Amino acid sequence: MVSSNTDARAAIRGWLQENVTGGRDVPNDEPLIDNGVMTSLQTVELVVFLEDSFGIVVEDEEFDEENFGSVEAIASLVESKAA
Amino acid sequence: MSARPEFTLHDLLYNSVARDPEKTAVVDGDAHYTYEDLERESSALGAALVDSGVKRGDRVGVLVEKSWEAIVAMLAASRIGAAYVNVNPLFKAPQVEYLAQDCDIRVMIGDSQKLEELGPRTLQTAFHRGAKPEGQAAASYVDVAEAMKGDPLTQDSKVSESDLGTILYTSGSTGMPKGVATSQRNLVVGAQIVTTYLKNTPEDRILSALPLNFDAGMSQFTTSLRAGATLYLLRSRLPGDLLKALRRHEITGVTGVPPLWALLIRGSKSLRENPLTHLRYLANTGGRIPQANLDELRNLLEPSGTKIFLMYGLTEAFRSTYLAPDEVWRSSPEQGNCIGKAIPNTDIMVITREGKEATPGEPGELVHRGPTVAMGYWGNEKATRRAYRPNPLAPPELLDIERVVYSGDTVKRDEEGYLYFLGREDAMIKNQGYRLSPEEVENLLLGSGLVHEACAFGVENPAVGQDVVAAISLRNGAEEGALDRVREHVIKNGPPYMVPREILIRDELPKTGSGKIDRKGISSAYSNG
Repeated sequence: MVSSNTDARAAIRGWLQENVTGGRDVPNDEPLIDNGVMTSLQTVELVVFLEDSFGIVVEDEEFDEENFGSVEAIASLVESKAA
Repeated sequence: MSARPEFTLHDLLYNSVARDPEKTAVVDGDAHYTYEDLERESSALGAALVDSGVKRGDRVGVLVEKSWEAIVAMLAASRIGAAYVNVNPLFKAPQVEYLAQDCDIRVMIGDSQKLEELGPRTLQTAFHRGAKPEGQAAASYVDVAEAMKGDPLTQDSKVSESDLGTILYTSGSTGMPKGVATSQRNLVVGAQIVTTYLKNTPEDRILSALPLNFDAGMSQFTTSLRAGATLYLLRSRLPGDLLKALRRHEITGVTGVPPLWALLIRGSKSLRENPLTHLRYLANTGGRIPQANLDELRNLLEPSGTKIFLMYGLTEAFRSTYLAPDEVWRSSPEQGNCIGKAIPNTDIMVITREGKEATPGEPGELVHRGPTVAMGYWGNEKATRRAYRPNPLAPPELLDIERVVYSGDTVKRDEEGYLYFLGREDAMIKNQGYRLSPEEVENLLLGSGLVHEACAFGVENPAVGQDVVAAISLRNGAEEGALDRVREHVIKNGPPYMVPREILIRDELPKTGSGKIDRKGISSAYSNG
């Protein structure tokens, strides 16, 4: 399990590089959904990764574009839960 | 008040305006638009399209994300006798430019950001949504928001049900998308058939959760328009947004593809605690729902009154068969993957290789006969002749025989007349509700300039239907890191669902006896590890 001190941004960007963008690093503020970077199913996989790595639970209603629109938004959600 | 006969898409609009002009037609985010707004703004945009040179029979591209403007654009084109072409918003510039060239789109209504990505002089006139685009994609630009506020059409164009209504692009085996030419009649009859079995009324609040470039996604718009119901536009496909939309708008009807239900089920806790009591029906299309997911959906939704419809169809003939809610149990693998019976006003035939009607239990090709049979593939005679053929069972005295659609799906029929899906002859990959041609993925891989040979195929994955996997051999001299660069090329130049989940590198790809790349062999070798 990744400790909650670990930078969530780096973990998310690493996951995206490995699983979604084919090695391209994604800036923290790049729109992930609007630009079609991630498909909805990849987002589901990302949630599984976040839940496993940070020991958090993403509630059904939180799993939306507001919280998953960018690396920054996702990291804020993770930090608010891990805090 | 007598309703107008329904010949064209805009006849459906006129009837709904006449019924209740103040009724909310479309909800886009926080904005509500009435049927009167839809009438007025589609007339103004239609007039602006005519001013920019669009004539009856021309094609008008729609490259805006799902929005009020996208809805108005379809009706504006219809009212001046032009065909609208909804472009997949996930397409990258190479696919959009291909479409514009393939069906000669000179005028396009698009999001500014999307228009900016296009090459110089792709278009004559671009109606932009957002700030005026930089660059030279079009010779002239018009602000779509202003065009929608302009003067209305002075008179209706002459439009008949035989006119081209829209072109729906699907994945093609030539490596690029192919366009299914769909008439006004096809659109109208499709809406009549679907509203009949879903029993839509003006009281319905219908969720548009699928893309509008997809025939099944456009159907929520046409059915809502015909019923005089309210259409709620949902762009997000994340489960939280879907749940919130269903609740907040008290949605009564939702249509989707299997991956959408996988996402909805993720919210099972919330659905159990707070059931969707307003949801009258849920309709599935675009592939089979994995049995475990279907069982869970039924458990979660049926107790609070939601009816589940399962449909089967292909863009070439819109919808073909369906299972009504009390027959959904028949769709299980134990029952043999039943796809139901023909939709209203439609004949489904099972035709053997010899061109005869199959006897009960005998496998044959599903052949669709009826008023939703589209006009063929735009500009593609070979593919049209293969899929659209004369009715094999027509009496010989009918000399100019009607055309029917050969689906490419192998099915059988039981004694009671129920149809069962057995398999497909072609190599189409079913990914996230898209039917994706492997050739299109291969073409994209080859376009990187680093790949010598490519072979794409589907690998079963219950969550998405099939994953796209590709095997490639590299060109001589392709150095270290070539695989990363191939992936980058594919991501940059293709929509996300076309990006292979895995790319395998081989020295050489195995061939069949005739020297073609052995897709079946490569695919089964992969599946068997």
